[in-house]
Amino acid sequence: MSGAARHAPVTAGARAASKLGRLFWLVPLLLLPVPLFLDQYQQYVANLVLVYVPVGVGFNVVVGNLGLLAFSNVAFFGIGAYTSGILMLKLGLPWWATVFPAGVMGGIAGSAASVPALRGVRLFYLAIMTLAFGELMRWVYIRWEPLTGGSFGMAVPTPSAFGWSLDAESHKFYAFLVLATAVIALTNRLLRSRFGRAFMAIRGNEEAAAAMGIPTDRYILLGFAWGGFAVGIAGSMYAALVGHLSPPSFDLSELILEFAIVMVGGLGSLLGSVVGAIVLTAAPEFFRDFPGFEELVFGVLIVAVILFLPRGLASLLARAHPALRDRYYRE
Amino acid sequence: MAPLLELSDVTVRFGGLTAVDQVSFRVEAGEICALIGPNGAGKSTLFNAIAGNAPIQSGRVLFRGDEIQQMTPHAISARGVRRTFQNGGLFGHLTVLENVLVGLHTKVDSGFFGVLAGARKSHRTEAGATRQARGLLALMELEHVADALATELSGGQQRMVEIVRALATDPPLLLLDEPAVGLAPPMRARLGDIIRRLAKERSVGIVLIEHAIELVMSISDRVVVLNYGRKVADAPPAEVRADRNVLEAYLGHG
Repeated sequence: MSGAARHAPVTAGARAASKLGRLFWLVPLLLLPVPLFLDQYQQYVANLVLVYVPVGVGFNVVVGNLGLLAFSNVAFFGIGAYTSGILMLKLGLPWWATVFPAGVMGGIAGSAASVPALRGVRLFYLAIMTLAFGELMRWVYIRWEPLTGGSFGMAVPTPSAFGWSLDAESHKFYAFLVLATAVIALTNRLLRSRFGRAFMAIRGNEEAAAAMGIPTDRYILLGFAWGGFAVGIAGSMYAALVGHLSPPSFDLSELILEFAIVMVGGLGSLLGSVVGAIVLTAAPEFFRDFPGFEELVFGVLIVAVILFLPRGLASLLARAHPALRDRYYRE
Repeated sequence: MAPLLELSDVTVRFGGLTAVDQVSFRVEAGEICALIGPNGAGKSTLFNAIAGNAPIQSGRVLFRGDEIQQMTPHAISARGVRRTFQNGGLFGHLTVLENVLVGLHTKVDSGFFGVLAGARKSHRTEAGATRQARGLLALMELEHVADALATELSGGQQRMVEIVRALATDPPLLLLDEPAVGLAPPMRARLGDIIRRLAKERSVGIVLIEHAIELVMSISDRVVVLNYGRKVADAPPAEVRADRNVLEAYLGHG
């Protein structure tokens, strides 16, 4: 069979990947000295990249692994951000203590957002219904003024972690690095287990997945909840980074950016989400000095990737080295 | 002892159309029961009704004496009623090995928090399941395609993988929906041999929808013939061949 020879590299790649997987923890260690080389603004951009890593990772679980066209991601992001902001401002909690609650609130929002999908809504109908969830939340941020500060927004107190004030951008970088690494590692474990396989089975053929004994509803709920959890944590990081939350930060253009991260990175690819977050967050920022150029770079990037790399930047990585081939990335 | 599978007066209606009309039959462990009939006779609908994919208006489906007609497809599958699909039910984004691992889903019992914590037990469960899946593929001489994407296999290999996947959990009952479609004659013979051995050596009860009539006649213990949703014959192959009702079902009234 010609197929056998052709697929030998995949096996070799899988083996190389598992070897390389042990080196995963080296990456954040290697990033530790990064703040030494960055000025204040560059450090802010690096932090922003770290915020968008869990955003892409969480969104991709729903869109890429479960294969459901659900656009409620910005709602999870906003809910995570406001949860942290409100807990800090109203209850006086330190930022670090609000991160997990923000993730949990994101997870609860994710579970709620899975309801249309659980009722059998799919494709464009699901897209438009979940989109409405994000817009509804924006209305809530504006209307629930005593808590959210309404249209004027909310000033988030200076974040701190375990008694350390994160008043400098470089301090936030380390806290964010820990969180982004944790979200990647946990999501990786989840996707490589029977849970991740069940997600991919549902993406491929729901009826056949159920015929394998998979309670598809429960797994759809779980995928949404996990995606919401990851994105909720990202929201909490966002609150700590920007220090001011207002409803326009969680509008449709934000959703487009988040969706672009997933598409440019590669649907269903964990590594792709990370790369997508880096490219789409950092690249436009570096062209900020040229007015109008920022949007242009963003647009050209998306068009170029969709045209030349329809499976996203993950396909470049997979070609570069078999070890970089993502578990569920398939060309 | 209760029969492995027993249908009594099962009726499935879609709107005004009665797709399956008061059908009853039984399948014992180790028995191969073929379900034949012209297109639109209700064979696939009956399959879907057994597997929980089609709503049953009246009648009962008993699996080992327990009513299963109100259960969800995944619950029925978890009980040991496994099926293959007519149009290929493999997961295209997964490799052959991963497809079989999904087949083992109900046997891989690693818990959510164990997985997140990277617990040793989860790793062991996963490694054990992977070994088992590779072993199952080796039994069918498919180990060399284990890491290929399911969509890259030939039609015949895909059918075989689907059967391996359905059998992964050692189910007592297997529903095969046209497994021989698109298979070359030698492959067809091999498939017949495999089905026969599953029933006789491992006592798997098999319900088989198949148009390849020679295959049906050579391996089945019993043939149930459907026409317009009704059962028109239920007998050993030799008798069914001679049955006037069956000829009418296939050729129309002469």
